[in-house]
Amino acid sequence: MLIKYWPKETKIPFMRYRYVGVVLSVVMMIASVYLVMTRGLNLGVDFAGGSVIELRQTEQVTVPEVRSRIQGSLTVNSATNANGELVVIRFGDLDQSLLGPEFQALSDEDKAERASAASNTYVVNALKREFNLADADILRNDSVGPKVSSELFREGMIALGVATIMMFLYIAFRYTWSYAVGGIAALVHDAIGTIGLFSLLQLEFDLTTIAALLTIIGYSVNDSVVVFDRIREIRRKYKQMPATEVIDIATNQTLSRTFLTGGTTIIAVLAIAIFGGPVLQGMSVAMIWGIIIGTYSSIYFAAAIVLMLGVDINRKPVEDTPGFEAMP
Amino acid sequence: MLQFPAWKVLLVFGVLIWGVIMALPNAVNMSNAPGFLPKKAVNLGLDLRGGVYLEMEIPATEVISSRLEVFARDVRSAFARTSDRDPIFFQPELRGRTMLIKLSRPDADGNFPVEDALRRLDRINSPIEGGLGGGKTFDISRAGPDSLLVSVSSASETAMLQDALNKTMTIVRRRVDPDGVAEISLTPSGTNRIVLEAPGEPDPERLKDLLSRDGRMTFNLVESSPAEIASAQAGVIKPGFRLLEGPETGPLLVREIPEVVGSDIATASQGNDDANRPQINFRLNANGARKFYETTRNNSGKLFAIVLDDVIMSAPRINEPIPGGNVRITGSFTIEQAQDLAAIIAAGEMPAKVQFLDQRVVSSTLGEDSIESGFRAAIVGLALVAVFMVLAYGLQGMFAVFSLMANVILIFAALSLVGATLTLPGIAGIILTIGMAVDANVLVFERIREEQNNGRSLWTAVQAGYERALVTILDANVTTLFAAIILYTLGSGPVKGFAVTLAFGIVTSVFTAFVFTRMLTIFWMKAFKTKSFAV
Repeated sequence: MLIKYWPKETKIPFMRYRYVGVVLSVVMMIASVYLVMTRGLNLGVDFAGGSVIELRQTEQVTVPEVRSRIQGSLTVNSATNANGELVVIRFGDLDQSLLGPEFQALSDEDKAERASAASNTYVVNALKREFNLADADILRNDSVGPKVSSELFREGMIALGVATIMMFLYIAFRYTWSYAVGGIAALVHDAIGTIGLFSLLQLEFDLTTIAALLTIIGYSVNDSVVVFDRIREIRRKYKQMPATEVIDIATNQTLSRTFLTGGTTIIAVLAIAIFGGPVLQGMSVAMIWGIIIGTYSSIYFAAAIVLMLGVDINRKPVEDTPGFEAMP
Repeated sequence: MLQFPAWKVLLVFGVLIWGVIMALPNAVNMSNAPGFLPKKAVNLGLDLRGGVYLEMEIPATEVISSRLEVFARDVRSAFARTSDRDPIFFQPELRGRTMLIKLSRPDADGNFPVEDALRRLDRINSPIEGGLGGGKTFDISRAGPDSLLVSVSSASETAMLQDALNKTMTIVRRRVDPDGVAEISLTPSGTNRIVLEAPGEPDPERLKDLLSRDGRMTFNLVESSPAEIASAQAGVIKPGFRLLEGPETGPLLVREIPEVVGSDIATASQGNDDANRPQINFRLNANGARKFYETTRNNSGKLFAIVLDDVIMSAPRINEPIPGGNVRITGSFTIEQAQDLAAIIAAGEMPAKVQFLDQRVVSSTLGEDSIESGFRAAIVGLALVAVFMVLAYGLQGMFAVFSLMANVILIFAALSLVGATLTLPGIAGIILTIGMAVDANVLVFERIREEQNNGRSLWTAVQAGYERALVTILDANVTTLFAAIILYTLGSGPVKGFAVTLAFGIVTSVFTAFVFTRMLTIFWMKAFKTKSFAV
């Protein structure tokens, strides 16, 4: 059994290096924010609007052929799914002169609204004509107008915000506000760190990324709560023990669980990343990274902040561990 | 914690057997199974089966301005009868959501009879549809010494949009699915949006063409000589007429006021003419048939234009009075064009032209690829996690793997039960759950290991392990459940599918990890008198 090789009792003095951890985390968060502000995010069609078209790669339909035969500013790349190579074409609003007389007849306001849909129609028709394609040959064709994309972005951000607030309230209800602050700090740390990675690698940021971020938030709090539970338990048992030591024991005792669960989750998500096809790739990369920094932050960020703000929970004199409580 | 009375065992196995039965149609074809067994597999989302998703919006301003236009016509015809003697003459001027009516003829004292006009307009101003408070459709107020402003109150606007939304939903359904056989879904979203999901439909352009037509059908008498057409093309149109064109007929001058309108049409369908070419047949209702008969009787020898959205479809010559109200349009149509046109005519006129906001099309081949990718990822994920757990925890790990499998089956059963839709991100949610579901097991196993290390006997260690881990398991899972619920409430489309499987996965994993694994462990310990677990 692997677990045999895991030391029975680790005694890593995590909290001795807590300032290193906190500084490291803060630096990473600042770097992430800086990256997002300077490099920006590679927003997918869900949030930026525009179109994505996927075709099966054949002898005729190749990335360079599509680039040379279809006019307009298109981004053409290749991708792989379960059954072969794909040609992926992305574009926003094309040059209006390409869009035909019907579009030109629209009012300026309508033009802004409909440019995205008209561009999509133009490219689809051009592809069908140039490569002699049928409808079924166009594997995917997503086109999102400016109105919906800005709404989706707003809704995604609201979802992240609401999730954060709910988590804060739940932890505050189950523990105290200092735990809530610690847990939320770790959650924000993980979310910002993941967004930073997306900016650094310019991975596509879309709706599934928001789903991944929400999962990371859930996982991060999950991880923090397991450590918090142990801190509370040890605190009740040994009332005189210094807080630093309490947290060290709690993190050490939960350490093998932290790594095992992190391990199985990463294994499962790796399977999605490798076999799940292009749609799920961004999502799974986000989750792998999120789980890694989430594991780190539950120890070094969440616990360290709880230590700074105070570990005491026992406001009520009698808790549900009567065996350790001296009756007055 | 360690006692499992018979009823509990029965309950646990009952749940698992129910899960297997519910999930079975996803694995094997159940169409020949006995009647009491479920036969339907989980619904697949558009991204897995292929199809078209279209989100469209009915522009509020256009709905209101078209209602104002109708009101302007009503006003014009109400005043036209008395216009010669009447001191009031007006020109309605549409300005987006309002309409300005200017009085142009002052009375003898040089005053404009605004009050009189207000009174008269109020008489033809109908109450808000479905409204109870007795509010009127339009707010008409004095805008100056010689003008009136017609606007729409917010209550009336809401009623108009609701009405437009209902009408558009009906029309969209009739146009896309005239025979009522296709498996399409139409969902209103917000006050003025409609989401159309059409599984299996490969061509969004055809759908968009079908839906972007106004569908305004009229029959107008033609009165045009070549000279009149030439002068109309030069910009001088004789009053009461419009210059329209058609692919078959070329430019013609038609009467502005139609003889028969779309609401006079009862049904329309695609048929074939004598030479077996596709044509469009339609039947007028009693009122329409009467008007049609009278028009054909009084206008023998003239051309009669059949106009759809300001394009002349056909302009046959009237040879004799036509009773019965059966009309047909011939022309060079393909069968599909004729069917689509018939559907458009039968469905009636859109309250306003819809705008397409979001379109997602997935071909069925890509859907199959995605199912394959998802299935492969799930198998690999499950196998790797299983190997990892057995390596880490030996026998107990094996129990955890059994409960993982039970978990996947229960997720599918739950999806079937509520009729949820499985999407590609949904499959990702299941795989993620496989990875995370072991967390509850791990928490318990670690606890048992610790208790054993502290010198407790196996039975007390197992007891303490489950007892102490329970609070942590619940706390930890509730937080992820929150995230999943928020994602479900605020997310859309495929992401919702992810939230659903994640949420079900969390609930079922607590059950399988905490109840099912525990039962297996205890049965094993009783059967083999185990002294300790090799951890």
